[in-house]
Amino acid sequence: MTLGAPLAIRAVAALFVVLMIVFLLAPLVVVMAASLSAGGYLVFPPQGLSLKWYAEILADRRYQEALTTSCVIALLSTAIAVPLGTAGAIALTRFRFPGRSAAQLLFLSPLLFPTIVVAIGLLILASRLLGGSSIAVIVAGHVALAIPFVVRTVGAVLEGVDRATEEAARVMGANAWRRYSLVVLPQCKSGIMAGTLLAFLVSFDDAVLVLFLRTPSIDTLPLRIYASLEFSPDPGVAAASTILILMAAFVVLISERLLAGRHVVG
Amino acid sequence: MTGAARRLEPALLLAPGAVALIAAFLLPILQVLAYAFFKDGALSWSALDFTAWRRMTDDDYHLFVGLRTLRIGLIVTAACLILGYPLALVIDAASARMKALLFLALLLPLMTSVVVRTFGWLVILGRGGPIARALRDLGLVPNNFQLAYTETGIVIAMTQVLLPYMTLVLVGVIGQIDRRLVEAARTMGAGWLHALRHVVIPLSKPGIIAGSVLVFAITISSFITPVLIGGLKLPVLAAGVFHSAIAYNDWPLAAAQATALFAIVALVLLPYALTARGNAR
Repeated sequence: MTLGAPLAIRAVAALFVVLMIVFLLAPLVVVMAASLSAGGYLVFPPQGLSLKWYAEILADRRYQEALTTSCVIALLSTAIAVPLGTAGAIALTRFRFPGRSAAQLLFLSPLLFPTIVVAIGLLILASRLLGGSSIAVIVAGHVALAIPFVVRTVGAVLEGVDRATEEAARVMGANAWRRYSLVVLPQCKSGIMAGTLLAFLVSFDDAVLVLFLRTPSIDTLPLRIYASLEFSPDPGVAAASTILILMAAFVVLISERLLAGRHVVG
Repeated sequence: MTGAARRLEPALLLAPGAVALIAAFLLPILQVLAYAFFKDGALSWSALDFTAWRRMTDDDYHLFVGLRTLRIGLIVTAACLILGYPLALVIDAASARMKALLFLALLLPLMTSVVVRTFGWLVILGRGGPIARALRDLGLVPNNFQLAYTETGIVIAMTQVLLPYMTLVLVGVIGQIDRRLVEAARTMGAGWLHALRHVVIPLSKPGIIAGSVLVFAITISSFITPVLIGGLKLPVLAAGVFHSAIAYNDWPLAAAQATALFAIVALVLLPYALTARGNAR
Protein backbone atom coordinates (compact mmCIF):
# COMPACT_ATOMS: atom_id res chain seq x y z
CA MET A 1 0.00 0.00 0.00
CA THR A 2 3.04 2.26 -0.24
CA LEU A 3 2.00 2.79 -3.85
CA GLY A 4 4.10 5.54 -5.41
CA ALA A 5 5.76 6.66 -2.21
CA PRO A 6 8.21 9.55 -2.71
CA LEU A 7 11.92 8.69 -2.85
CA ALA A 8 12.66 10.32 0.51
CA ILE A 9 10.05 8.15 2.18
CA ARG A 10 11.48 5.03 0.53
CA ALA A 11 14.92 5.89 1.92
CA VAL A 12 13.52 6.45 5.41
CA ALA A 13 11.55 3.20 5.11
CA ALA A 14 14.69 1.24 4.20
CA LEU A 15 16.54 2.64 7.22
CA PHE A 16 13.54 1.94 9.45
CA VAL A 17 13.34 -1.70 8.33
CA VAL A 18 17.02 -2.24 9.04
CA LEU A 19 16.56 -0.77 12.54
CA MET A 20 13.53 -2.98 13.16
CA ILE A 21 15.41 -6.12 12.07
CA VAL A 22 18.22 -5.18 14.46
CA PHE A 23 15.69 -4.57 17.25
CA LEU A 24 13.91 -7.89 16.62
CA LEU A 25 17.01 -10.02 16.35
CA ALA A 26 19.31 -8.21 18.83
CA PRO A 27 18.50 -10.34 21.90
CA LEU A 28 18.98 -13.56 19.94
CA VAL A 29 22.27 -12.43 18.37
CA VAL A 30 23.60 -11.25 21.73
CA VAL A 31 22.83 -14.61 23.37
CA MET A 32 24.42 -16.58 20.53
CA ALA A 33 27.52 -14.37 20.59
CA ALA A 34 27.86 -14.55 24.38
CA SER A 35 27.73 -18.38 24.23
CA LEU A 36 30.95 -18.41 22.19
CA SER A 37 32.90 -16.58 24.89
CA ALA A 38 36.22 -18.01 26.02
CA GLY A 39 36.09 -16.02 29.25
CA GLY A 40 34.21 -16.82 32.44
CA TYR A 41 31.85 -13.84 32.42
CA LEU A 42 28.71 -13.24 30.49
CA VAL A 43 29.41 -10.17 28.39
CA PHE A 44 28.69 -8.81 24.95
CA PRO A 45 30.78 -8.67 22.84
CA PRO A 46 32.35 -11.97 24.09
CA GLN A 47 35.96 -12.19 25.25
CA GLY A 48 37.69 -14.45 22.75
CA LEU A 49 35.99 -17.25 20.86
CA SER A 50 35.56 -20.85 21.94
CA LEU A 51 33.04 -23.65 22.14
CA LYS A 52 34.10 -24.60 25.66
CA TRP A 53 30.79 -23.60 27.25
CA TYR A 54 28.95 -26.02 24.97
CA ALA A 55 31.27 -28.82 26.11
CA GLU A 56 30.72 -27.62 29.67
CA ILE A 57 26.91 -27.82 29.64
CA LEU A 58 26.82 -31.06 27.64
CA ALA A 59 28.96 -32.64 30.34
CA ASP A 60 26.92 -31.10 33.17
CA ARG A 61 24.54 -33.66 34.67
CA ARG A 62 21.93 -31.03 35.60
CA TYR A 63 21.75 -29.86 31.99
CA GLN A 64 21.66 -33.44 30.71
CA GLU A 65 18.74 -34.27 32.98
CA ALA A 66 16.92 -31.03 32.09
CA LEU A 67 17.37 -31.72 28.38
CA THR A 68 16.08 -35.29 28.76
CA THR A 69 13.03 -34.15 30.76
CA SER A 70 12.27 -31.41 28.23
CA CYS A 71 12.47 -33.92 25.37
CA VAL A 72 10.27 -36.50 27.14
CA ILE A 73 7.60 -33.90 27.96
CA ALA A 74 7.68 -32.37 24.47
CA LEU A 75 7.56 -35.75 22.68
CA LEU A 76 4.63 -36.99 24.77
CA SER A 77 2.71 -33.71 24.40
CA THR A 78 3.29 -33.69 20.64
CA ALA A 79 2.30 -37.33 20.24
CA ILE A 80 -1.03 -36.59 21.94
CA ALA A 81 -1.75 -33.07 20.64
CA VAL A 82 -1.15 -33.80 16.95
CA PRO A 83 -3.78 -36.55 16.44
CA LEU A 84 -6.33 -34.73 18.63
CA GLY A 85 -5.73 -31.40 16.90
CA THR A 86 -5.75 -32.95 13.42
CA ALA A 87 -9.05 -34.71 14.02
CA GLY A 88 -10.49 -31.48 15.41
CA ALA A 89 -9.27 -29.48 12.41
CA ILE A 90 -10.84 -31.96 9.98
CA ALA A 91 -14.17 -31.75 11.81
CA LEU A 92 -14.05 -27.94 11.92
CA THR A 93 -13.11 -27.40 8.26
CA ARG A 94 -14.96 -30.28 6.57
CA PHE A 95 -18.30 -30.36 8.40
CA ARG A 96 -21.14 -28.00 9.24
CA PHE A 97 -22.89 -29.03 12.43
CA PRO A 98 -24.72 -27.47 15.38
CA GLY A 99 -22.29 -26.24 18.04
CA ARG A 100 -19.51 -25.78 15.51
CA SER A 101 -18.59 -22.25 16.66
CA ALA A 102 -18.52 -23.38 20.30
CA ALA A 103 -16.20 -26.25 19.35
CA GLN A 104 -14.03 -23.84 17.39
CA LEU A 105 -13.83 -21.52 20.40
CA LEU A 106 -12.79 -24.42 22.66
CA PHE A 107 -10.14 -25.68 20.22
CA LEU A 108 -8.57 -22.27 19.57
CA SER A 109 -8.90 -20.28 22.79
CA PRO A 110 -5.82 -21.68 24.61
CA LEU A 111 -3.94 -19.57 22.03
CA LEU A 112 -5.27 -16.30 23.51
CA PHE A 113 -6.14 -17.23 27.06
CA PRO A 114 -3.63 -16.13 29.76
CA THR A 115 -1.49 -19.25 30.34
CA ILE A 116 -0.89 -18.23 33.93
CA VAL A 117 -4.59 -18.68 34.79
CA VAL A 118 -4.55 -22.19 33.32
CA ALA A 119 -1.30 -22.87 35.20
CA ILE A 120 -2.65 -21.97 38.64
CA GLY A 121 -5.86 -23.88 37.86
CA LEU A 122 -3.95 -27.02 36.90
CA LEU A 123 -1.85 -26.69 40.06
CA ILE A 124 -4.93 -26.51 42.29
CA LEU A 125 -6.67 -29.37 40.44
CA ALA A 126 -3.59 -31.60 40.51
CA SER A 127 -2.99 -30.92 44.21
CA ARG A 128 -6.60 -31.68 45.13
CA LEU A 129 -7.30 -34.67 42.90
CA LEU A 130 -3.91 -36.25 42.25
CA GLY A 131 -2.02 -35.31 45.39
CA GLY A 132 0.37 -33.08 43.50
CA SER A 133 1.87 -32.29 40.13
CA SER A 134 3.78 -34.71 37.91
CA ILE A 135 5.14 -35.04 34.39
CA ALA A 136 1.67 -36.26 33.33
CA VAL A 137 0.03 -33.03 34.56
CA ILE A 138 2.58 -30.93 32.67
CA VAL A 139 2.01 -33.00 29.53
CA ALA A 140 -1.77 -32.52 29.85
CA GLY A 141 -1.26 -28.75 30.09
CA HIS A 142 1.09 -28.71 27.11
CA VAL A 143 -1.39 -30.75 25.07
CA ALA A 144 -4.00 -28.03 25.70
CA LEU A 145 -1.51 -25.29 24.72
CA ALA A 146 -0.38 -27.13 21.57
CA ILE A 147 -3.74 -28.27 20.14
CA PRO A 148 -4.65 -24.79 18.73
CA PHE A 149 -1.39 -24.69 16.76
CA VAL A 150 -2.18 -28.06 15.16
CA VAL A 151 -5.78 -26.98 14.47
CA ARG A 152 -4.49 -23.81 12.78
CA THR A 153 -1.82 -25.49 10.62
CA VAL A 154 -3.96 -28.45 9.53
CA GLY A 155 -7.01 -26.20 9.10
CA ALA A 156 -5.03 -23.75 6.96
CA VAL A 157 -3.87 -26.55 4.66
CA LEU A 158 -7.33 -28.17 4.42
CA GLU A 159 -8.97 -24.84 3.55
CA GLY A 160 -6.85 -24.76 0.41
CA VAL A 161 -7.56 -28.34 -0.70
CA ASP A 162 -10.29 -29.32 -3.13
CA ARG A 163 -12.98 -31.36 -1.42
CA ALA A 164 -13.93 -33.15 -4.65
CA THR A 165 -11.51 -36.06 -4.11
CA GLU A 166 -12.94 -36.74 -0.67
CA GLU A 167 -16.51 -36.54 -1.97
CA ALA A 168 -15.56 -38.87 -4.83
CA ALA A 169 -14.14 -41.42 -2.38
CA ARG A 170 -17.31 -41.13 -0.32
CA VAL A 171 -19.65 -41.52 -3.31
CA MET A 172 -17.65 -44.42 -4.75
CA GLY A 173 -18.25 -46.27 -1.50
CA ALA A 174 -14.84 -46.08 0.17
CA ASN A 175 -15.25 -46.90 3.84
CA ALA A 176 -14.20 -44.39 6.48
CA TRP A 177 -10.84 -46.05 7.07
CA ARG A 178 -9.87 -45.97 3.36
CA ARG A 179 -11.25 -42.46 2.95
CA TYR A 180 -9.13 -41.11 5.80
CA SER A 181 -5.96 -43.11 5.22
CA LEU A 182 -5.92 -42.69 1.42
CA VAL A 183 -7.47 -39.24 0.91
CA VAL A 184 -8.00 -36.96 3.90
CA LEU A 185 -4.81 -37.56 5.89
CA PRO A 186 -2.51 -37.36 2.84
CA GLN A 187 -4.25 -34.05 2.04
CA CYS A 188 -3.42 -32.78 5.55
CA LYS A 189 0.18 -34.01 5.43
CA SER A 190 2.07 -30.71 5.23
CA GLY A 191 -0.21 -29.19 7.87
CA ILE A 192 0.33 -32.17 10.18
CA MET A 193 4.09 -31.91 9.79
CA ALA A 194 4.13 -28.16 10.50
CA GLY A 195 1.74 -28.71 13.41
CA THR A 196 4.02 -31.40 14.83
CA LEU A 197 7.02 -29.06 14.77
CA LEU A 198 5.07 -26.19 16.34
CA ALA A 199 3.51 -28.43 19.01
CA PHE A 200 6.95 -29.76 19.96
CA LEU A 201 8.35 -26.24 20.16
CA VAL A 202 5.41 -24.90 22.22
CA SER A 203 5.97 -27.65 24.78
CA PHE A 204 9.76 -27.53 24.72
CA ASP A 205 9.88 -23.72 25.10
CA ASP A 206 7.24 -23.37 27.81
CA ALA A 207 8.40 -21.96 31.11
CA VAL A 208 5.13 -20.63 32.57
CA LEU A 209 3.26 -23.92 33.07
CA VAL A 210 6.35 -25.78 34.31
CA LEU A 211 7.20 -23.02 36.79
CA PHE A 212 3.83 -23.66 38.46
CA LEU A 213 3.74 -27.42 37.97
CA ARG A 214 7.35 -28.43 38.59
CA THR A 215 8.22 -30.70 41.46
CA PRO A 216 11.66 -30.96 43.07
CA SER A 217 12.50 -33.79 40.66
CA ILE A 218 11.32 -32.02 37.48
CA ASP A 219 13.69 -29.63 35.75
CA THR A 220 13.45 -28.59 32.09
CA LEU A 221 15.84 -26.66 29.90
CA PRO A 222 13.87 -23.36 30.01
CA LEU A 223 13.53 -23.79 33.79
CA ARG A 224 17.31 -24.24 34.14
CA ILE A 225 17.86 -21.08 32.12
CA TYR A 226 15.23 -19.18 34.12
CA ALA A 227 16.72 -20.30 37.43
CA SER A 228 20.26 -19.28 36.49
CA LEU A 229 19.04 -15.88 35.28
CA GLU A 230 17.67 -15.17 38.75
CA PHE A 231 21.16 -15.74 40.16
CA SER A 232 24.34 -15.26 38.17
CA PRO A 233 24.28 -16.38 34.57
CA ASP A 234 27.53 -17.64 32.99
CA PRO A 235 28.17 -18.22 29.26
CA GLY A 236 26.89 -21.80 29.77
CA VAL A 237 23.35 -20.41 30.06
CA ALA A 238 23.93 -18.64 26.76
CA ALA A 239 25.03 -21.94 25.20
CA ALA A 240 21.87 -23.67 26.44
CA SER A 241 19.78 -20.74 25.15
CA THR A 242 21.49 -20.93 21.77
CA ILE A 243 20.33 -24.53 21.44
CA LEU A 244 16.75 -23.29 21.91
CA ILE A 245 17.25 -20.49 19.36
CA LEU A 246 18.62 -22.89 16.75
CA MET A 247 15.67 -25.21 17.36
CA ALA A 248 13.23 -22.33 16.85
CA ALA A 249 15.05 -21.33 13.65
CA PHE A 250 14.77 -24.89 12.35
CA VAL A 251 11.04 -25.07 13.12
CA VAL A 252 10.33 -21.64 11.59
CA LEU A 253 12.24 -22.37 8.36
CA ILE A 254 10.70 -25.81 7.82
CA SER A 255 7.14 -24.88 8.78
CA GLU A 256 7.24 -21.74 6.60
CA ARG A 257 8.19 -23.97 3.68
CA LEU A 258 5.53 -26.56 4.55
CA LEU A 259 2.78 -24.00 4.88
CA ALA A 260 3.93 -21.94 1.88
CA GLY A 261 2.91 -18.50 3.06
CA ARG A 262 -0.11 -19.51 5.15
CA HIS A 263 0.74 -18.05 8.52
CA VAL A 264 -0.41 -19.58 11.73
CA VAL A 265 -0.02 -16.57 13.97
CA GLY A 266 -1.86 -13.37 13.18
CA MET B 1 -22.97 -43.53 4.04
CA THR B 2 -26.15 -42.81 5.92
CA GLY B 3 -27.16 -39.36 7.18
CA ALA B 4 -26.84 -40.45 10.80
CA ALA B 5 -23.28 -41.68 10.29
CA ARG B 6 -22.46 -38.43 8.58
CA ARG B 7 -23.73 -36.47 11.56
CA LEU B 8 -21.79 -38.72 13.90
CA GLU B 9 -18.50 -38.27 12.08
CA PRO B 10 -17.64 -34.70 13.24
CA ALA B 11 -18.63 -35.63 16.79
CA LEU B 12 -16.26 -38.60 16.76
CA LEU B 13 -13.47 -36.44 15.33
CA LEU B 14 -13.96 -33.71 17.91
CA ALA B 15 -14.52 -35.85 21.00
CA PRO B 16 -10.91 -36.78 21.96
CA GLY B 17 -9.62 -33.22 21.59
CA ALA B 18 -12.65 -31.81 23.38
CA VAL B 19 -12.14 -34.19 26.32
CA ALA B 20 -8.46 -33.18 26.58
CA LEU B 21 -9.27 -29.47 26.38
CA ILE B 22 -12.08 -29.70 28.92
CA ALA B 23 -9.85 -31.60 31.36
CA ALA B 24 -6.64 -29.59 30.95
CA PHE B 25 -7.99 -26.16 30.00
CA LEU B 26 -11.64 -25.55 30.88
CA LEU B 27 -11.72 -27.35 34.26
CA PRO B 28 -8.56 -25.58 35.55
CA ILE B 29 -10.11 -22.21 34.65
CA LEU B 30 -13.35 -23.13 36.45
CA GLN B 31 -11.30 -24.30 39.41
CA VAL B 32 -9.63 -20.88 39.60
CA LEU B 33 -13.02 -19.15 39.52
CA ALA B 34 -14.31 -21.49 42.24
CA TYR B 35 -11.35 -20.73 44.49
CA ALA B 36 -11.69 -17.00 43.90
CA PHE B 37 -15.29 -16.88 45.15
CA PHE B 38 -15.85 -19.91 47.40
CA LYS B 39 -14.12 -21.17 50.51
CA ASP B 40 -11.90 -24.13 49.50
CA GLY B 41 -13.54 -24.02 46.08
CA ALA B 42 -16.72 -25.67 47.39
CA LEU B 43 -19.61 -24.64 45.15
CA SER B 44 -22.38 -23.87 47.64
CA TRP B 45 -24.05 -20.66 48.80
CA SER B 46 -22.81 -21.12 52.37
CA ALA B 47 -19.23 -21.31 51.15
CA LEU B 48 -19.42 -17.99 49.30
CA ASP B 49 -16.34 -16.12 50.42
CA PHE B 50 -14.94 -12.76 49.34
CA THR B 51 -12.12 -12.41 51.86
CA ALA B 52 -9.46 -12.97 49.18
CA TRP B 53 -10.90 -10.05 47.21
CA ARG B 54 -11.06 -7.89 50.30
CA ARG B 55 -7.44 -8.69 51.08
CA MET B 56 -6.57 -7.71 47.54
CA THR B 57 -8.55 -4.46 47.39
CA ASP B 58 -7.68 -3.33 50.93
CA ASP B 59 -3.99 -3.37 50.16
CA ASP B 60 -2.53 -0.40 48.25
CA TYR B 61 0.24 -2.71 47.10
CA HIS B 62 -2.11 -4.66 44.83
CA LEU B 63 -3.53 -1.42 43.46
CA PHE B 64 -0.04 -0.22 42.51
CA VAL B 65 0.76 -3.58 40.93
CA GLY B 66 -2.47 -3.44 38.93
CA LEU B 67 -1.80 0.11 37.77
CA ARG B 68 1.77 -0.74 36.78
CA THR B 69 0.50 -3.74 34.79
CA LEU B 70 -2.06 -1.63 32.91
CA ARG B 71 0.46 1.17 32.30
CA ILE B 72 3.00 -1.25 30.84
CA GLY B 73 0.24 -2.83 28.76
CA LEU B 74 -0.84 0.51 27.28
CA ILE B 75 2.69 1.75 26.54
CA VAL B 76 3.74 -1.55 24.94
CA THR B 77 0.56 -1.59 22.82
CA ALA B 78 1.20 1.98 21.65
CA ALA B 79 4.86 1.23 20.91
CA CYS B 80 3.97 -1.92 18.94
CA LEU B 81 1.42 0.04 16.90
CA ILE B 82 3.83 2.92 16.17
CA LEU B 83 6.60 0.53 15.08
CA GLY B 84 4.40 -2.22 13.65
CA TYR B 85 2.25 -0.13 11.30
CA PRO B 86 5.08 1.30 9.17
CA LEU B 87 6.76 -2.12 9.26
CA ALA B 88 3.56 -3.76 7.98
CA LEU B 89 3.31 -1.13 5.19
CA VAL B 90 6.87 -1.89 4.10
CA ILE B 91 6.32 -5.67 4.22
CA ASP B 92 3.17 -5.26 2.14
CA ALA B 93 5.05 -3.28 -0.50
CA ALA B 94 8.17 -5.48 -0.51
CA SER B 95 9.14 -7.94 -3.23
CA ALA B 96 8.34 -11.62 -2.61
CA ARG B 97 11.96 -12.39 -1.64
CA MET B 98 12.20 -9.47 0.74
CA LYS B 99 8.80 -10.34 2.19
CA ALA B 100 9.95 -13.90 3.00
CA LEU B 101 13.05 -12.50 4.70
CA LEU B 102 11.07 -10.01 6.79
CA PHE B 103 8.63 -12.74 7.82
CA LEU B 104 11.56 -14.80 9.06
CA ALA B 105 12.80 -11.82 11.07
CA LEU B 106 9.34 -11.63 12.69
CA LEU B 107 8.74 -15.35 13.18
CA LEU B 108 12.14 -16.32 14.57
CA PRO B 109 11.90 -14.17 17.73
CA LEU B 110 8.20 -15.06 18.00
CA MET B 111 8.97 -18.78 18.15
CA THR B 112 12.02 -18.50 20.41
CA SER B 113 11.42 -19.31 24.07
CA VAL B 114 10.47 -16.16 25.95
CA VAL B 115 13.05 -17.06 28.60
CA VAL B 116 15.80 -16.88 26.00
CA ARG B 117 14.64 -13.57 24.51
CA THR B 118 14.43 -12.03 27.97
CA PHE B 119 17.90 -13.32 28.73
CA GLY B 120 19.19 -11.48 25.64
CA TRP B 121 17.55 -8.26 26.82
CA LEU B 122 19.04 -8.64 30.31
CA VAL B 123 22.51 -8.71 28.71
CA ILE B 124 21.74 -5.74 26.43
CA LEU B 125 20.03 -3.61 29.09
CA GLY B 126 22.28 -4.53 32.01
CA ARG B 127 25.04 -2.47 33.60
CA GLY B 128 27.77 -4.07 31.45
CA GLY B 129 25.63 -4.11 28.29
CA PRO B 130 26.26 -2.17 25.08
CA ILE B 131 23.59 0.51 25.74
CA ALA B 132 24.80 1.44 29.23
CA ARG B 133 28.42 1.38 28.07
CA ALA B 134 27.79 3.63 25.05
CA LEU B 135 25.82 6.16 27.12
CA ARG B 136 28.50 6.10 29.83
CA ASP B 137 31.29 6.65 27.31
CA LEU B 138 29.41 9.67 26.01
CA GLY B 139 29.20 10.95 29.58
CA LEU B 140 25.41 11.10 29.46
CA VAL B 141 24.68 8.85 32.42
CA PRO B 142 26.23 8.06 35.81
CA ASN B 143 28.47 5.02 36.31
CA ASN B 144 25.86 2.71 37.80
CA PHE B 145 23.32 3.36 35.02
CA GLN B 146 21.39 0.40 33.62
CA LEU B 147 18.00 -0.18 32.01
CA ALA B 148 17.57 -3.65 33.51
CA TYR B 149 15.37 -3.55 36.64
CA THR B 150 13.50 -0.48 35.35
CA GLU B 151 10.02 -0.12 33.89
CA THR B 152 11.58 1.29 30.70
CA GLY B 153 13.58 -1.93 30.41
CA ILE B 154 10.42 -4.03 30.79
CA VAL B 155 8.69 -1.95 28.09
CA ILE B 156 11.61 -2.29 25.64
CA ALA B 157 11.82 -6.06 26.06
CA MET B 158 8.05 -6.58 25.95
CA THR B 159 7.78 -4.46 22.80
CA GLN B 160 10.26 -6.71 21.03
CA VAL B 161 8.40 -9.79 22.24
CA LEU B 162 5.04 -8.50 20.96
CA LEU B 163 5.95 -6.51 17.84
CA PRO B 164 5.72 -9.66 15.64
CA TYR B 165 2.10 -10.29 16.73
CA MET B 166 1.04 -6.73 15.93
CA THR B 167 2.89 -6.63 12.61
CA LEU B 168 1.56 -10.00 11.42
CA VAL B 169 -2.03 -9.01 12.19
CA LEU B 170 -1.57 -5.65 10.39
CA VAL B 171 0.08 -7.25 7.35
CA GLY B 172 -2.92 -9.58 7.04
CA VAL B 173 -5.40 -6.69 6.99
CA ILE B 174 -3.37 -4.25 4.87
CA GLY B 175 -2.78 -6.99 2.28
CA GLN B 176 -6.53 -7.35 1.82
CA ILE B 177 -7.17 -3.67 1.02
CA ASP B 178 -8.30 -3.20 -2.56
CA ARG B 179 -5.34 -1.62 -4.33
CA ARG B 180 -7.64 0.12 -6.80
CA LEU B 181 -8.95 2.35 -4.01
CA VAL B 182 -5.44 3.62 -3.33
CA GLU B 183 -4.74 4.01 -7.04
CA ALA B 184 -7.98 5.94 -7.45
CA ALA B 185 -7.05 8.31 -4.63
CA ARG B 186 -3.61 8.82 -6.17
CA THR B 187 -4.88 9.49 -9.72
CA MET B 188 -7.45 11.89 -8.32
CA GLY B 189 -4.50 13.93 -7.09
CA ALA B 190 -4.15 12.80 -3.48
CA GLY B 191 -0.58 12.95 -2.23
CA TRP B 192 1.04 9.81 -0.84
CA LEU B 193 0.52 10.88 2.75
CA HIS B 194 -3.04 11.99 2.01
CA ALA B 195 -3.88 8.58 0.48
CA LEU B 196 -2.31 6.86 3.47
CA ARG B 197 -4.25 8.95 5.95
CA HIS B 198 -7.64 8.94 4.27
CA VAL B 199 -7.68 5.55 2.51
CA VAL B 200 -5.20 3.02 3.85
CA ILE B 201 -5.34 3.76 7.57
CA PRO B 202 -9.17 3.93 7.79
CA LEU B 203 -9.48 0.69 5.82
CA SER B 204 -6.98 -1.07 8.08
CA LYS B 205 -8.83 -0.07 11.25
CA PRO B 206 -10.04 -3.64 11.98
CA GLY B 207 -6.39 -4.76 11.98
CA ILE B 208 -5.33 -1.88 14.21
CA ILE B 209 -8.01 -2.82 16.74
CA ALA B 210 -7.37 -6.57 16.51
CA GLY B 211 -3.59 -6.15 16.84
CA SER B 212 -3.88 -3.72 19.77
CA VAL B 213 -6.33 -5.94 21.65
CA LEU B 214 -4.10 -8.98 21.12
CA VAL B 215 -0.92 -7.19 22.21
CA PHE B 216 -2.55 -5.60 25.26
CA ALA B 217 -4.09 -8.90 26.41
CA ILE B 218 -0.83 -10.81 26.05
CA THR B 219 1.25 -8.04 27.67
CA ILE B 220 -0.80 -7.73 30.85
CA SER B 221 -0.85 -11.50 31.34
CA SER B 222 2.88 -11.93 30.68
CA PHE B 223 4.96 -13.21 33.48
CA ILE B 224 8.50 -14.27 32.51
CA THR B 225 9.73 -11.02 30.93
CA PRO B 226 8.50 -8.56 33.60
CA VAL B 227 9.69 -10.84 36.42
CA LEU B 228 13.20 -11.33 35.04
CA ILE B 229 13.70 -7.75 33.80
CA GLY B 230 11.82 -5.96 36.59
CA GLY B 231 13.04 -8.15 39.40
CA LEU B 232 11.27 -8.21 42.75
CA LYS B 233 11.02 -4.42 42.94
CA LEU B 234 8.64 -4.04 40.00
CA PRO B 235 5.99 -6.77 40.31
CA VAL B 236 3.12 -7.07 37.81
CA LEU B 237 -0.24 -8.85 38.23
CA ALA B 238 0.92 -12.17 36.77
CA ALA B 239 3.96 -12.19 39.06
CA GLY B 240 1.59 -11.61 41.98
CA VAL B 241 -0.35 -14.75 41.03
CA PHE B 242 2.88 -16.74 41.00
CA HIS B 243 4.11 -15.46 44.36
CA SER B 244 0.77 -15.95 46.10
CA ALA B 245 0.49 -19.49 44.73
CA ILE B 246 4.08 -20.74 45.00
CA ALA B 247 5.80 -18.66 47.68
CA TYR B 248 2.83 -18.31 50.08
CA ASN B 249 0.69 -21.29 49.05
CA ASP B 250 -2.24 -18.86 49.26
CA TRP B 251 -4.58 -20.34 46.63
CA PRO B 252 -7.60 -18.10 47.30
CA LEU B 253 -5.51 -14.94 46.86
CA ALA B 254 -3.75 -16.37 43.77
CA ALA B 255 -7.14 -17.37 42.34
CA ALA B 256 -8.59 -13.89 42.99
CA GLN B 257 -5.57 -12.24 41.36
CA ALA B 258 -5.78 -14.59 38.36
CA THR B 259 -9.52 -13.89 38.08
CA ALA B 260 -8.90 -10.14 38.14
CA LEU B 261 -6.34 -10.57 35.37
CA PHE B 262 -8.71 -12.78 33.40
CA ALA B 263 -11.54 -10.27 33.86
CA ILE B 264 -9.43 -7.45 32.41
CA VAL B 265 -8.39 -9.61 29.45
CA ALA B 266 -12.02 -10.66 28.87
CA LEU B 267 -13.18 -7.05 29.12
CA VAL B 268 -10.76 -6.12 26.33
CA LEU B 269 -11.27 -9.23 24.17
CA LEU B 270 -15.05 -9.56 24.36
CA PRO B 271 -16.12 -6.39 22.49
CA TYR B 272 -13.52 -7.22 19.87
CA ALA B 273 -14.73 -10.80 19.49
CA LEU B 274 -18.31 -9.55 19.11
CA THR B 275 -17.49 -6.92 16.48
CA ALA B 276 -15.21 -9.33 14.61
CA ARG B 277 -18.09 -11.78 14.31
CA GLY B 278 -20.36 -8.96 13.13
CA ASN B 279 -17.87 -8.02 10.41
CA ALA B 280 -17.55 -11.59 9.22
CA ARG B 281 -21.25 -11.84 8.44
